[in-house]
Amino acid sequence: MSFLHIHNVHKRFGDTHVLKGIDIAIEKGDFLVLVGPSGCGKSTLLNMIAGLDAISEGELLLNGERINDVHPSRRDIAMVFQSYALYPSMTVAGNIGFGLEMRKVAKARRREAIQRAAELLQIENLLDRKPAQLSGGQRQRVAMGRALVREPQLFLFDEPLSNLDAKLRVDMRTEIKQLHQRLGTTIVYVTHDQIEAMTLATRIAVMRGGELQQLGTPQAVYDDPNNLFVAGFMGSPSMNLVTARITRHEGRLVARIAAPAGDVTLPIVRDRAALEAWCDRDVMLGLRPEAITDPASANREDGDIHEATLEIALVEPTGADLYVVTQLGGRSINARMRPGAPLSPGQSTRFAFDVSRMVAFDPETEARIRDEVPATPDEASTGHADSTGNADSTGNILGQNA
Amino acid sequence: MSAGATVARRNTLGRALLYAVLAVFAILYLMPLYVMLVTSFKPLEEIHQGNMLALPDTWTFAPWREAWGSACIGLECSGVHGYFFNSIKIVVPAVLISGLLGAFNGYVLTKWRFRGHKIVFGLILFSCFIPFQIILLPMARVLGILHIANSTTGLVLVHIVYGIGFTTLFFRNFYESFPDELVRAAKLDGAGFFTIFFRILLPASVPIIVVTIIWQFTNVWNDFLFGVSFTSGDSAPITVALNNLVNSSTGVKAYNVNMAAAMVAAVPTLIVYILAGKYFLRGLMSGSVKG
Ligand SMILES: Nc1ncnc2c1ncn2[C@@H]1O[C@H](COP(=O)(O)OP(=O)(O)O)[C@@H](O)[C@H]1O
Ligand SMILES: [Mg+2]
Repeated sequence: MSFLHIHNVHKRFGDTHVLKGIDIAIEKGDFLVLVGPSGCGKSTLLNMIAGLDAISEGELLLNGERINDVHPSRRDIAMVFQSYALYPSMTVAGNIGFGLEMRKVAKARRREAIQRAAELLQIENLLDRKPAQLSGGQRQRVAMGRALVREPQLFLFDEPLSNLDAKLRVDMRTEIKQLHQRLGTTIVYVTHDQIEAMTLATRIAVMRGGELQQLGTPQAVYDDPNNLFVAGFMGSPSMNLVTARITRHEGRLVARIAAPAGDVTLPIVRDRAALEAWCDRDVMLGLRPEAITDPASANREDGDIHEATLEIALVEPTGADLYVVTQLGGRSINARMRPGAPLSPGQSTRFAFDVSRMVAFDPETEARIRDEVPATPDEASTGHADSTGNADSTGNILGQNA
Repeated sequence: MSAGATVARRNTLGRALLYAVLAVFAILYLMPLYVMLVTSFKPLEEIHQGNMLALPDTWTFAPWREAWGSACIGLECSGVHGYFFNSIKIVVPAVLISGLLGAFNGYVLTKWRFRGHKIVFGLILFSCFIPFQIILLPMARVLGILHIANSTTGLVLVHIVYGIGFTTLFFRNFYESFPDELVRAAKLDGAGFFTIFFRILLPASVPIIVVTIIWQFTNVWNDFLFGVSFTSGDSAPITVALNNLVNSSTGVKAYNVNMAAAMVAAVPTLIVYILAGKYFLRGLMSGSVKG
C-alpha cells in the first residue's frame, strides 16, 4: 500500500477537461516532482491533493484512506504557495503560528513550535517583522516555516522558487533538498523547471496537456524516456533528435543518418529486438549531448563507442564544457567535448557516439520504441532510496550487447 | 551646453506657468471658504459696509456662539447643536453598517463565488445609478410600515440601503485583486468563513476602508434630500437645520450667524478629509495588496 495514491484522477472545469486520468503512487519519504510546461495541470493536481479543488472523477488515497471529501484543514497536509501567500497584516510569528492557533494549540506550545521552525529555517531574528519588510528569500522561508510548524504528513509546494532570482533559487533549492533529507518528509513539488525536477526529486512525474507522460526516478526519466516529449523536455541542453533509417549492414542492424559529407552509420545495440521490426523504415533517434564527445573523453568502459568524422559548425564554450554544434540528419546537433579542445568552426573532427545510450522513437506516434515495458510505478518505487539506479540499466544494455 | 541651458530655461518657464495656473484654480476654489470664514467672525455692521474680502476689523465669536446655541430655527431658538448631534447619530451607524455590509458582499462576491455571482453584483451595482428622487415615495411607505418614519433611525436605514451599492463596489474591486492564494492558505490552516474575513482580509483593507468611510461620511453628512423628506422637527439632520435657519430668520439677515452655522455643518467633512485624505488618494490608486 503506497503512502499517497492518486488513482485515475480527472478534473473538469465545465467543458474543459484539464486532467485526464492521472495515476501516481508514492511512498512515505518520497520527493515527487510534478513537472511539465505551463498550463498542463500541475497546480490543479496539487490543489486537488490539498482539497482546494474538488475531484471530478477518481480517487485520492492518503495512507490508505480515501480523502476525496475530507476538508482541506483535516487532511494533515501543508502547502507552500507560489506567491508565498503570507498574511500581510500578521507578523512572521503570527503567520507561522496561525495554523496552530486555528487548531487551538495552547499559546506556550505554539510559541515553542514557532521557535523551533524559525531555528530550523534561520529566521529567528525576523519573527516580529511584517511580510512587507522581508526580502523574497526571507518570505520564502517564512512560507516554509508555516508549513513545517504543523508537522503534516505531506508537504505540497507549488513552484516555490519561481519568484526568486537565479542565484537565490539555486541556494533555496539546495536548502529544500537538505530539509527533505533531514526531516524525511513526504513532498509533492510542482515546477516547470526540469533542472529543479532533476535535482530535487526521488520520483519525477512528467505531465503534458493533463496527461501523465512518465513516472520514474530522475535518472530513469532522463535516460529512458517514454516518448519524444519527455526526451525533449528533460535535460539541458536538450536531447539531440534526428531522423534516421534503420537498415541492415553487414548482417548488423544499424541506423543510417544523413550528413553533409556522407551518411553516418551507427550500430543498434539498445532495444534491438523492437527495432528489428523497423528495418528499412525511418525512426527518430535521440542522443544526449554528453553521449556525443571527442574520442579522448569518450566513456569506453560503460559505453559502446563508434566514431565518425563531421564538420564543426559552431563552438560554444561554457567554461566547464565545450559544446560543439554539427550538422546531422538535416539538424544541428550538440556534442559535449573536453573544455579547451583545439576546435574551431569549419574544421572536420572525430565525433565519438555512445550508441548504448541511443534511444529511438516512432516518428508518427512519438512513442518510444523499446524492448520491454518500463517498470511500473509500484515496482520502481521499491528501489527509490537508491538514486543511482542508472548503473543497473547501463549494465542491462551491456549485457544485451555481449 | 547652450542647448542644454535653453532646454532648462524652457523647463523652468513651463513649471512657472503650470504653478501659476494651479495657484489660480486653488484660489478660485478656496475663495468661498475664505469669505465664509471671515464673514463668520465679523459683527453684522461690518458686513453691511460691504467689503466681503476684507479681514474683520473687530474679531468676534458671537456669531459662532449664536449659531451653535441660540439661533432660531423655526420656532425653537437653541441653535444648530441638536441637529449637529442628530447628524452624528445618523452618520456613525450608517457609515459603519453600510461599510461592513459592503465589505462582506465584496468578500463573498470575490472569494466565495457562487453560481450567478456576476448577476448579483450587476444588480447591486445598478442600485448606484438609481436617482434619489425615484425612491422617495416607496421609501416613505416602507419607513411608515416599519414605524420609523420621522426618526433618525429611519434615516440611518435609508442611508445604509442607498450606500450598500457603492460600498460593495469599492470592496469587491479591492478584493478582486486580493490574492486568492491567501484565502486558500488560510483554509488549509483551518480558518473558516468568518475567521478568514476578520483576520486575513479586513486587516489588509485599510486603504479601501478609508475610501469607503470618506465617501459614505461625506454623502450621508451632506445629504439634504433624504433628510428633508424623511424627518421633521427636531429629528432633522444639520443640513436641513441649516436650510431652515437661513430661511426662517425674519428681518435683517444675520449673515455672520448663517456663515458660522454653515461652517459648523462643513467642519466634520473637512476634518475627515484632512485626517484621511492621504489614504484616500493612496486607496484609490492602489488596487493591489503587496507582501
Ligand atoms: N478555475 C478554472 N476554470 C477553468 N479552467 C481552469 C481553471 N483553473 C485552471 N484552469 C485551466 O486548467 C489548465 C491547467 O492549469 P494549471 O493547473 O494552473 O496549470 P499549471 O500549474 O500546470 O501551469 C489551464 O489550461 C488552465 O487554463
Ligand atoms: Mg501552476
